Amino acid sequence: MEAEPDALEAMTDFLYIIPVGLIQFRMDGAILLANPLAVQLLLPLIPNNDFTDAFSALAPLVPDLARRVQAFIPTAGLVLDHLRCDAGTSAEPRTLSLTVHRTHGGLNLAVLEDVTRLAGQERQLEADRLRFRAIFEHVRDYAIFTVDVQGRIDGWNPSLRRFGGWSAADVVGKPFDLFFPPEHHHPAELNELLSLTTRIGSAEIEGWRFREDGTVFWANSVVTALPDSDGAVRGFVVVSRDMTVRKRMEEDLRRLATTDPLTGAFNRRSGLARLTEALLPGAASPAVIMLDVDHFKSINDKHGHAMGDLVLCSIVVACRLLLGEGVPVVRWGGEEFLFILPGTGIEAARATGERIRTTLAATPVEAASGEIRVTVSLGLAMAMPGEAPEALINRADAALYVAKRGGRNRVELAPEA
Amino acid sequence: MSISLAEPQAIGLLSAMSDAELDTLPFGVVAMSSDGVVVAYNRAESDLSRLTSARVVGRHFFRDVAPCTNNFMIARRFETEAELDATLDYVFTLRMAPTPVRLRMLRSATAPLMYLLVERRRPGGS
Repeated sequence: MEAEPDALEAMTDFLYIIPVGLIQFRMDGAILLANPLAVQLLLPLIPNNDFTDAFSALAPLVPDLARRVQAFIPTAGLVLDHLRCDAGTSAEPRTLSLTVHRTHGGLNLAVLEDVTRLAGQERQLEADRLRFRAIFEHVRDYAIFTVDVQGRIDGWNPSLRRFGGWSAADVVGKPFDLFFPPEHHHPAELNELLSLTTRIGSAEIEGWRFREDGTVFWANSVVTALPDSDGAVRGFVVVSRDMTVRKRMEEDLRRLATTDPLTGAFNRRSGLARLTEALLPGAASPAVIMLDVDHFKSINDKHGHAMGDLVLCSIVVACRLLLGEGVPVVRWGGEEFLFILPGTGIEAARATGERIRTTLAATPVEAASGEIRVTVSLGLAMAMPGEAPEALINRADAALYVAKRGGRNRVELAPEA
Repeated sequence: MSISLAEPQAIGLLSAMSDAELDTLPFGVVAMSSDGVVVAYNRAESDLSRLTSARVVGRHFFRDVAPCTNNFMIARRFETEAELDATLDYVFTLRMAPTPVRLRMLRSATAPLMYLLVERRRPGGS
């Protein structure tokens, strides 16, 4: 029975351009049928252009194909399943994938695919995977991890252990704000960070973070959105760096710049800055107290400068204990101290001044040579609306002068200007 | 006028032939433009491949008609050698049966078309 000539030609044409190589061969290797792509892929590899025997034609890919075909007993099934073969000639290096099916009647069908590009992509992916693994496993002082769109950690790697002692069970599947100590952290912070990162691609935060053992460290974290092929964000990569050493250095520098090295009180410059801030419109009017140690020169003369220094330090320690963190203690100069009392009334301010005076008078300074009793004089001034810091301090100074003139160991209130 | 596959002046003679004259030749002739598109496909070649000239003309030969030639042994040479006259023993899968053939590849700056000449050979013989 003869097919229509046109139909036969169409089928021939169709078979010619099938983009995988096909070879039908007998158990002894004799090739019965093959398509052009099989020839295109194999003939450059065959020394003598002999395309009659499948075992020799495919030998450059699988040298022992005859043995493998003949060892395959079933009458149908897969003899080889997508075996990857480097079939490179120096002119055209290629990776081919070979599948051999046992079909009916003791025949075999070899299917050849040119997977050179796919293999190249796979090699690139594998190289990237190894590179990223090397980064994850060998970076020091960094943690690198990925999170899903909700901020849940979606994989563990060794950098998390080195970074904070975290194990996979501790962190995988949990939102990464588990690293954030609650007292420094707003519950919405994570969502805000992720939505910001989604909008602008990348964001940076710094803050204290937990280690697994509950201790904290200061971390800088850069969060970068990971887009999928449609450009939609499918997760984030977080790169965190332990900056504790730098943070401590910054704090040391700030402390050195703002405090008096002898007593640890704020220095004059930072005291003035705090007072300027307290006098800004809108805040409740503060009061200031200027304190001067009575007969300080004679303490130095009688007991030495080391004793004088000890007296100054003792005053700062005692006042801090008495007043708490809300009242900055400023070493204004020499044996003069300034206290900035936030928005209290005149009676409360006067009572605070009295408590400073009586507490210091009742607390002798312990020294090798015995106890020294020290008294102080205080000038109190209530800030008036719009008053400049210098004017307020001048009034407190004037009140202090009145206290000294009045016999020391007392508090005087400055009249309004 | 009859010439053989090995004719020294082949490209000049072929360039001067009409399609009807190409049909009288005893070996297959594929004439292509310089970018590989089939311009003429003679009767002997049609008989070998069982593809008519009408089906093949206008298509890219190496990619869309005879993928078995689309490698460095044949297609790359046509693409990269401005002057080409080489003879090669090869295998075509004519109607899916591996068939030993002798090929002659012709390209010259003096001729407008490039030619692939095809003739059956006896297996192992010359």
